[in-house]
Amino acid sequence: MEILSYLNACGGHRLLTRIPPSFDMSVPSVHLASGFDFSNQIRNNFLAERGIPLPKATSTGTTIVGCLFKDGIVLGADTRATEGDIVADKNCEKIHYITENIRCCGAGTAADTEFTTAMISSNMELHALWTGRKPRVVTAMTMLKQTLFKYQGQIGAALVLGGVDSAGPHLFTIHPHGSTDKLPFVTMGSGSLAAMAVFESGWKPNMDRAEALQLVKDAIFAGIFNDLGSGSNVDACIITATSTEMLRNVEMPNQRAEKENKYEFKRGTTAWKKEEVRSLITSEQVTLIGVGDESMDTS
Amino acid sequence: MEYNGGSVVAMVGKDCVAIACDLRLGNQALGVSSNFPKIFPITDRIYLGMSGLATDLETLRERFRFRVNMYTIKEEREIEPQTFAHLVSSTLYEHRFGPYFIEPVIAGLSKTPSGDLKPFIAAADLIGCLNFAKDFVVSGTASAKIYGLAEALWEPDLEPEDLFETISQTLMNAVDRDAFSGWGCLVHVLTKDKVITRTLKSRMD
Amino acid sequence: MEVSFALTGKDYVIVAADTTAARSIVKMKTDQDKIKILSPHLLMAYSGEPGDTLQFAEYVERNIRLYQIRNLYALSPSAAASWIRRSLAESLRSRNSYAVNLLVGGFDTTTQEPHLYWIDYLGTMTEIPFGAHGYGSYFALSLLDRYHDPDASLEEGLATLKRCIDEVSKRLVVSPDRYKVKVVDKDGVREVEL
Repeated sequence: MEILSYLNACGGHRLLTRIPPSFDMSVPSVHLASGFDFSNQIRNNFLAERGIPLPKATSTGTTIVGCLFKDGIVLGADTRATEGDIVADKNCEKIHYITENIRCCGAGTAADTEFTTAMISSNMELHALWTGRKPRVVTAMTMLKQTLFKYQGQIGAALVLGGVDSAGPHLFTIHPHGSTDKLPFVTMGSGSLAAMAVFESGWKPNMDRAEALQLVKDAIFAGIFNDLGSGSNVDACIITATSTEMLRNVEMPNQRAEKENKYEFKRGTTAWKKEEVRSLITSEQVTLIGVGDESMDTS
Repeated sequence: MEYNGGSVVAMVGKDCVAIACDLRLGNQALGVSSNFPKIFPITDRIYLGMSGLATDLETLRERFRFRVNMYTIKEEREIEPQTFAHLVSSTLYEHRFGPYFIEPVIAGLSKTPSGDLKPFIAAADLIGCLNFAKDFVVSGTASAKIYGLAEALWEPDLEPEDLFETISQTLMNAVDRDAFSGWGCLVHVLTKDKVITRTLKSRMD
Repeated sequence: MEVSFALTGKDYVIVAADTTAARSIVKMKTDQDKIKILSPHLLMAYSGEPGDTLQFAEYVERNIRLYQIRNLYALSPSAAASWIRRSLAESLRSRNSYAVNLLVGGFDTTTQEPHLYWIDYLGTMTEIPFGAHGYGSYFALSLLDRYHDPDASLEEGLATLKRCIDEVSKRLVVSPDRYKVKVVDKDGVREVEL
């Protein structure tokens, strides 16, 4: 019960500083409360007034999709993370684990999608243990929308949630403000328009696994090649009633051409002024004393 | 980010990692110090580099020192680079709605179950979104320029001495094209048995 | 316009600050001491928002003194500077922060080394061989780059300081005309006349 209340207080990422009740230190500053810390806000507003604007966070200008097929759900995502106009990560993972039978694609502010899905994943596991049932997709969807609604769109996570549970396959989109849709095929992120065009022209009910996977790949390709916020490789995840297959980098259409030449510098190219070497090997010298004739008489 | 200036880069080599930073501390256009390192040892095998607002750099350094010490005392073991990266990430995300103006870069050697040491690098944005790269990570005012150079110069499986040349040339040449970074460079190369720290001879303008 | 300089030498730190108390365009006073003596071997020059400066300097002075009374020894220059920086950084996160820029100079009696720290109102801190705050820094830093010698004797150090002051008097539009100069070395703190 104690763990449950601690995690429900939205502080799953505080594990390292949690102090067991028996270890009550008299120094109050050692214990850190869970949840967000707003202590820098006054200062940051002050800095903004003085012309130091807030730097940009990594965002996943993304193409993420999901589609329903005969046996379940296929989720797809590209692998580009951007920071303003530069590509921050060429091969990031946007399909997040929720439970064994539920996955969630994230678009928007990268840190928000990462932490929100991790938080929900943690709470879903606890929920599953508490109820003793296999977790349902609607449960994850409800948790996510309630979290996002609570923060009034301030948490910039746009999600595609998919999974198969006792009630069959489910596919949802969740917007940053907490609204949700349940549809047979969905797209999100900056490449959503390109991907949706592919779905609209190619999707049909009761596709088989191969057809559905190909359609998802094509939708992601459309995002990768037409939307500048999306790029690199295709990740996919196929969830059926019996199995979950995470297909990391199923397609890699943007492999870098092999370099014909190397830019290796000759040793000694860089001039330096000062060197300090810290050895991590503890050396010890053993001096034997009293060996031989003078050994102790123990007879 | 441009208020104080500064840049950090980390690279993976063969059984080694390197992390380097410039040494400038500025007050907007005015240079205040040419001896302001932005990389700090966390354990023997983890180095943390930070670029951004200098006051937050110092505040976070104090904070991480405290939290790593608490971890070491409670767990009775040294923190692993992976774990430390998540500590950094969650500390930053905790301040999601009033962030520290810092982009951290972590370089270290992590222990594998077989007892070997494996190179580890990671970077995060100012609200703690981790980026585990297999080649190199960057941050700071010259980050765009470092990306360009590192993309061209970095090769897999560089020996410590070769990695030193690659990271030094990457940083120095990038920083020479950035007005807010420079004024000297500092490079650490972490290997299995030693840490080599070198202050580079570089342009001072 | 407020101006303050500081530089280290072989085994001393010189801290200098102008003595003008200004309000708007009017000089109210020309003999104000803007360098606090925090402990037997520690000096702090302060400038910035009038009111905040003295309030914060006295807060620091009393706390450093309290530490000395409680522990029977004074904080080392590095420890004192760290504490002062932290106080500023914490103050910046409150609704009414102190806008104070500091130069903290001290002599570490345990290692017999001089230390000088540059701290601004954001809580930025760095150890430096010489530094300045205010408009004077634009003139003085380049001058000190050329003339500063870490092994200089006190006389040479004071001569370098004189160059800075003269340069500021010559080139700054609204330059202060009087300065207070204090020195800290192994014998403690004292004021010197230029």
